[in-house]
Amino acid sequence: MHDFPPRVDAYTPAETSRPDTRSPARFLGWLLRVQWDVVALLGVTGLVWFLPGALSPLLLGKAIDSGVLHGDMWATLGWAGVLTLVIVVGAAAGIANHTFVVRGWLIALYGTQKLVTRKAVQLGHVLSRRLPTGEVLSISSSDSNTFGQTIEIVSRTIGAMSAFVLVCALMFTTSPPLGWVVVIAAPLLVGAASPVLRPLNHAQTAERTRTGELTSMATDIVSGLRILRGIGGERTFGNNYAALSQKVRRLGVATGTWQAVTETISVLLSGLLLVALVWLGSHEMLEGRLSVGQLISFVGYALFMVWPLQTFFEFAEKWVQGLVSARKAIALLAPELPFSEGAEPLSPRPRLVDAVSGVAVEPGRFLAVVSAVPEESAALADRLGRYLPTLQGAQENDDDDSELRGRRARLARESREARRAEVAERDRDLGGGEWGVSADGVDYSRLPLASLRRTVVVSDTASQLFAGTLQQAVDPWGTHTLEQAQEVLHAAAAEDVYAGLPGGWQGRVDELGRGLSGGQRQRVVLARALLLDPEVLVLVEPTSAVDAHTEARIAERVVEHRRGRTTVVMTASPLLLHHVDEVSLLVDGREVARGTHADLLADPRYRSIVGRGMEDDE
Amino acid sequence: MTAYRATPDDLAEDRNRRDTRATDWVHGPTDEQVPPELLITPGLPWSDRLAALRRRHRLRGERARAFYAASRTPERGLPVAGNAAAWAFVKRLLRTRKGSFALTVATNLAAAVAGLIVPRLLGNLVDEVTGGATGATQVDPIIGGVIVVVVVQAALVLAARRASAVLGYDLLAAAREEIVDTVLRLPLGEVESASSGDLLTRITSDVSKMSQSVRWAFPQLVMSSVLVVASLVALVLNSAFLALTMSGSLVVLWFATRNYLRHAGAGYITESGTYSQINSTTTETVEGARTVEALGLGERRIAIGDADVEVSSQAERYTMTLRNLFFIFLDISYQLPLVGVVLLGTWGYAEGWVTLGEITTAAIYVQGLVEPMDRLIQVFDTLQVGLAATTRLLGVAEVPEDRVAGDDRPRGTDVVGVDLRFAYRPGVDVLHGIDLDLRPGERLAIVGPSGSGKSTLGRLLAGINGPRTGEVDIGGVDVMTLPLDLLRTEVALVTQEHHVFVGSVRDNIVLARDRQLEGDAVDEAVRDALRAVDALDWVERLPQGLDTVLGHGRVHLTPAQAQQVALARLMVADPHTLVLDEATSLIDPRTARHLEGSMAALMEDRTVIAIAHRLHTAHDADRIAVVIDGRIAELGSHAELLALDGEYARLWRTWRS
Repeated sequence: MHDFPPRVDAYTPAETSRPDTRSPARFLGWLLRVQWDVVALLGVTGLVWFLPGALSPLLLGKAIDSGVLHGDMWATLGWAGVLTLVIVVGAAAGIANHTFVVRGWLIALYGTQKLVTRKAVQLGHVLSRRLPTGEVLSISSSDSNTFGQTIEIVSRTIGAMSAFVLVCALMFTTSPPLGWVVVIAAPLLVGAASPVLRPLNHAQTAERTRTGELTSMATDIVSGLRILRGIGGERTFGNNYAALSQKVRRLGVATGTWQAVTETISVLLSGLLLVALVWLGSHEMLEGRLSVGQLISFVGYALFMVWPLQTFFEFAEKWVQGLVSARKAIALLAPELPFSEGAEPLSPRPRLVDAVSGVAVEPGRFLAVVSAVPEESAALADRLGRYLPTLQGAQENDDDDSELRGRRARLARESREARRAEVAERDRDLGGGEWGVSADGVDYSRLPLASLRRTVVVSDTASQLFAGTLQQAVDPWGTHTLEQAQEVLHAAAAEDVYAGLPGGWQGRVDELGRGLSGGQRQRVVLARALLLDPEVLVLVEPTSAVDAHTEARIAERVVEHRRGRTTVVMTASPLLLHHVDEVSLLVDGREVARGTHADLLADPRYRSIVGRGMEDDE
Repeated sequence: MTAYRATPDDLAEDRNRRDTRATDWVHGPTDEQVPPELLITPGLPWSDRLAALRRRHRLRGERARAFYAASRTPERGLPVAGNAAAWAFVKRLLRTRKGSFALTVATNLAAAVAGLIVPRLLGNLVDEVTGGATGATQVDPIIGGVIVVVVVQAALVLAARRASAVLGYDLLAAAREEIVDTVLRLPLGEVESASSGDLLTRITSDVSKMSQSVRWAFPQLVMSSVLVVASLVALVLNSAFLALTMSGSLVVLWFATRNYLRHAGAGYITESGTYSQINSTTTETVEGARTVEALGLGERRIAIGDADVEVSSQAERYTMTLRNLFFIFLDISYQLPLVGVVLLGTWGYAEGWVTLGEITTAAIYVQGLVEPMDRLIQVFDTLQVGLAATTRLLGVAEVPEDRVAGDDRPRGTDVVGVDLRFAYRPGVDVLHGIDLDLRPGERLAIVGPSGSGKSTLGRLLAGINGPRTGEVDIGGVDVMTLPLDLLRTEVALVTQEHHVFVGSVRDNIVLARDRQLEGDAVDEAVRDALRAVDALDWVERLPQGLDTVLGHGRVHLTPAQAQQVALARLMVADPHTLVLDEATSLIDPRTARHLEGSMAALMEDRTVIAIAHRLHTAHDADRIAVVIDGRIAELGSHAELLALDGEYARLWRTWRS
């Protein structure tokens, strides 16, 4: 039988199955299907767990009629025995049911989280072009839980449905008129709260949105705390926070009031149903058609019936939530990589030529690319690595229109989806055809992507450090030796990171390298790229946050370290340019000159870029 | 003036410290893994399975307690307060809300009592019909009474739930405002040195856990406990004899609940910790998807994510078993009293001790107890998680103050540092007795390799941290004795960060003087500052001028505009000394050129200490201090240092070549 954590192989090279992303309902169906055995057992144990609730009114009534009223201890003992048995069986089923609920819920939850990781790995840099980060993360952290909830409610509904049918049958065999009252009144009772649900929902949404704002405000205060404590402004932002907090408090009280109204309605109506039953029942009794025990049973049934009915309404609500989450999950899981691949082999030491800029990367040489516009050399790095160009403008988040409802929300969603589809379309055009960069004369689009990624490695300015020990930050693959690590740490002039971190190699580096200075972070990133030791290494502005002293050291050591391998560095720093084999000068994205640093210094265009601050002195 | 140069001997001892001949490198995979004893071995016979489950459960319990203990005494980051502090906090909040609290208890009690009258009336009715009532005249008045009570009960429920919501949300608002206040009072030195990750987690995830506790669990605690107590009293009042059926259950429940709660807290706190871990790993994988792709880290990231899930599964299994063990007692002790009512009822009815109506009433009461008791247990679970979160939040307040304001006020604007030493870790000084005398209005550039202590020196000069020995004086007064409000108008540290706050343009700029300026004076000061940094034009073109809300998700500023806002803040603060820590190194060269005018306006007539990466910044300064290994190795003007032919001169030549 399935158990948690589930094994997931979708979107990996070892893939044997993947989710059904054709529609939200199919996706939920797939979630249920992959653990059908757990779902089935959940339904069965759920029903048995309900039995004491459903049967105890009957047994209590029987015991009163045949035992208590007649003073027949043996009859009482008999019925009490049956009641005890039902209770014990119910309790056992309850425990089994709880175990399966946890299992089913967590299979869905962990399964979704694993899918998100695998999909993120599969899509790589394309991921951020399809969905904003926040949305991907909310699939893993919150929608995954909704899927667990879907599994739970589906199986609970199966149990509740069976219990409902059972109790109806019991009621009709005892007294059809009272049976009718319960069957007709109970749904009304549960449904009567529905007019309040809309304002309640509205109030909850408003509260949730503002609470989100409040959290971002607190986050904002913490992110800017250095400024607030260094320059001032505690009063302004403290007051702003307090004002929003009070607003959220009022919205919360509104939500609480609507919840109180909902509960009041339910108290009132279930009370009135009880009154109606008792009134009818006592009159039936007075006319001799019903025994006391049976009347007591009916009161018990009426109280019990509210429960399966509530489950049905809950099902309706949670299934819709499940569909919403499924739609979000599909937006992440459905997209495919927009690249076309070929099977032509990539030579171990390729000569790369970029058609757009005309830059040729000679094997075994250390090339620097200088451009007045840093974006142009960064774009060249992307092309050499076969990365889609950086998107202009930030991706919008789904939360932005969370306050919209109904038609406007749908329109907002549709236009967002249309914009995303447009980006995806453009990506397929870019990645599907000729790429424009060739390795030994073969266009990238005819090479296997995996071997290209292994051979050409781009370490750009957005390269990220992952939380872990310093050892893991430098050697995230866990496959290198201390000597190799020391060598690259030296080459990147990053020994001070080791010396400054309590615990040395086992010292903690926080997520995104927090706790290290900008310059330290940059040097650890550089050391990591050097340790990977790819045939072609493309470095984008590797020393932009490093001081001149250290930069001079890095320049010397990195060039030495990479000797014999192909390296391209995008930079305008004379300290680095001084050491490289060759420099390519880009103007308007085209190579206009090539030579050593010393040669190119004669070119005024070159001097104006690399010599900033040089010409106006002395 | 002569340039100063340190001897090579001074520097040697520090270099030894940098050696990376490490013994702390670990071979092989270094991820945290779940111990194999915890994994389930399939195919065991049933008898062994139970023993194996018990073993695993014990081990998981130990892991949960270890995690809990570690979370209470973090090795790094901000401190965590004790449970007593959290309770004192709750009590203090409640003390100022006595009326609201009393109203909540009173309305809930009234609603519970009304709810308990209905079963009593039903019992009376049963007695009437079995006692020989023959017509509607005897039955209908009772039913009329039930209708009245139901309506009253409904009204009281409305009042009670509303009172609970008002109290809950009020408590929550007060609690979170106080937390943010505490954060805003964090000592300056702590803010500058600590990584913001810990604080960020506390202010987001811990506040939300505390919210859940305060907003939901606390009112539920009041409601459910009132209802349970009232039901038990009503049960006794109805028939003390029949109430005996509950006594056995209560004893069992007491012990089972106590045992459960003793373990549940650590279990749930561990569980929620494992989910935070999954979330941070996923966040890194998603945000760093390009890095993962570029470096071929996919398999590693998947393995790390799966390991987190495995750890989380173990935490879930622990609480699942805890609940299962608890539910055995719970389910049975909720339901068995019904059997007791039937048995005692038969006996008592035969003996004439109880009426049929009392039996009916007791049966309904016993069934009615299930829900509030169930909820109480959930409430305790949530409260424990909330309590742990609250202790972490209150821990922020336990960071010791790093300065005591004195009464001396600076006379003059000269900045002098004497014998400055500083250590981040005991015994490891990063500055070794620096003396520095700044002349008002001069421009000093500090250059030197990373890790040489130049940023630390800047922070001491700006009064962010106090030195281990020596002191920094402004106008003859130790900076660490100046009140923060005053310090900011004397000296300011400007870093690479140019955070734009969510708030109006005005809020974003008035910062330093938000306590001094009121009304129109604010707008005037803000406009003057914006004009000075060349930013008034574009601000006035914004849709609502100074009232335009900036920041994440609102009006987005270009990096240059954001930098101008940062400069305008400093114009408003108007300190006579500025410490620039790589303030322009992260800006695009094109915007840097555009900002030169704004920057020049800010620096005019001020003493400027510029910690520089780029040599051209140094070259323009009046004096240059070359800091190497915590000492000033060279000090003098550009020309003097070139003449000295030391470290600076060597670099300058490389730069120029």
